Amino acid sequence: MLNVKDLNVYYGTIHALKDVNIEVDKGEIVTIVGANGAGKSTLMWTLSGVLKPKSGSIIYNGKPHPLTAHDAAAAGIILVPERRRLYANLTVKENLMMGAFLRKDTEGIKQDLEYIYSLFPILKERTNQYAGTLSGGEQQMAAIARGLMSRPKILLLDEPSLGLSPIYTAEVFKTILEIKAQKTTILLAEQNAKKALEIADKAYVLETGRVVLQGSGKDLLANPAVQEAYLGVRHAII
Amino acid sequence: MFLQTLITGFSIGGIYALMAVGYSLVFSILNFSNFAHGTIIMLGAYIGYFLISSFNLSFPLSLIGAVLGAALLSLLNLRLAYNPLINRRSPSLYLMITAMGVSIFLENMVYVTVGSHFYSFPEIFKQSTIKFFGSDISPLDLAALIFSLISIYALHIFLTKTKIGTAIRAASYDMTTASLNGVNMTKLIGIVFLLAGAFAGLAGVFLGVKYMVYPTMGWITNKAYIAAVIGGLGSLPGAVIGGLILGVLETFVSVYISSTIRDVFSFSMVIIFLVIQPAGLLGKYLEEKV
Repeated sequence: MLNVKDLNVYYGTIHALKDVNIEVDKGEIVTIVGANGAGKSTLMWTLSGVLKPKSGSIIYNGKPHPLTAHDAAAAGIILVPERRRLYANLTVKENLMMGAFLRKDTEGIKQDLEYIYSLFPILKERTNQYAGTLSGGEQQMAAIARGLMSRPKILLLDEPSLGLSPIYTAEVFKTILEIKAQKTTILLAEQNAKKALEIADKAYVLETGRVVLQGSGKDLLANPAVQEAYLGVRHAII
Repeated sequence: MFLQTLITGFSIGGIYALMAVGYSLVFSILNFSNFAHGTIIMLGAYIGYFLISSFNLSFPLSLIGAVLGAALLSLLNLRLAYNPLINRRSPSLYLMITAMGVSIFLENMVYVTVGSHFYSFPEIFKQSTIKFFGSDISPLDLAALIFSLISIYALHIFLTKTKIGTAIRAASYDMTTASLNGVNMTKLIGIVFLLAGAFAGLAGVFLGVKYMVYPTMGWITNKAYIAAVIGGLGSLPGAVIGGLILGVLETFVSVYISSTIRDVFSFSMVIIFLVIQPAGLLGKYLEEKV
């Protein structure tokens, strides 16, 4: 569904992604793990059309990626950005409706809104509140909900558990599985490697802009290098 | 006397609010002071004047003509002068300097082509006054006030009740995220400039009718800037409240103290606000929680 080949992206003068190759198949959860500054967010912003690649190709559903954010959104590539980036000056409902900006199917929007309120009852309670007044966890729910309102074909989630309490983190991962069950493809960038790898069909490890490891979620969980670098497991030196 | 001053103050305040609204719209989305806004107001006044005096159109038709003309000029201003900078993601300071250049250029174009004459609108409202609780109120003042408030209210409805309006408010908070939601920012900024231009056209005609039409009349947007600072830069309700407060206070100062001290008072006010309450009365959004 999404085919990234030899992607090079510069962030100012910094070479942020170096010859990155990634493949996402329909219906999968693909996880990108990596430390701060590894290039996860750069990859997400590039796939969403905000950052332009220097070289390499992104093929989406057999066609070249449109390379502008609004066209990518129209094509069904939807990013829920790091730190949620809700519109604090808009109400929760207006934020959700911004997710449906490109849609014209009034009935479908209504149904999706009902579905989202059933998924996150707290958002229904807060529907007329300004998004800036929500707690961090509620904001993350609202940000994911806004992404879902776009009816994504592929949902890019950038650090959805960042700064959240364990309860909300569990809620976020439960939601991700729920979204997968609705047949939406998910590309997930996370620092919370353990949880992110557990639900992944496929995973990539990014280090300073390069893919250093790839495999199924289970394989990477069992990989000693991954365990030591990201899961806090210490192996005895032989 | 008091009531009369109050109404005059409100009507001037209404025009300030019209100017400040257009100015604030652009500021809220692109974060720069569009100094060319005053020039568009001036051009709107000229369009209105020539439509009514040379083409003998009725006042409502001339007003519509001025509004449409100013809106188009505003869009042209964006496409020719600002878009190349926006596309290169230049800092907003560059936009502000460009705006100053556009303003000087257009003003001098008017000097060269139309000349430096002062024109006054033909009499639209008979000079007779309306008696209202013993005060003499000019119908022009009343019309300007009512018209300003209606058009600003219409803008408010547009911004809060429509999809495009909501997108404008969303983009004023975070343009990148708005584009993630599928908003074509180039188009949206175009709509914002059309709206700002339309309001400039309205303000220009009312200013021209109340005072005169001349090439440097656009500098009165300094007052719109003050109004926007008082209300809170980038906030639309703030622009309206700031405009009305400034208009009323100014009129009271010139009636009860002295008209020469009026501008000293207005500019002192902006300094005081910038020192004590730089965000203005309403210019603060709730911060995002991390």
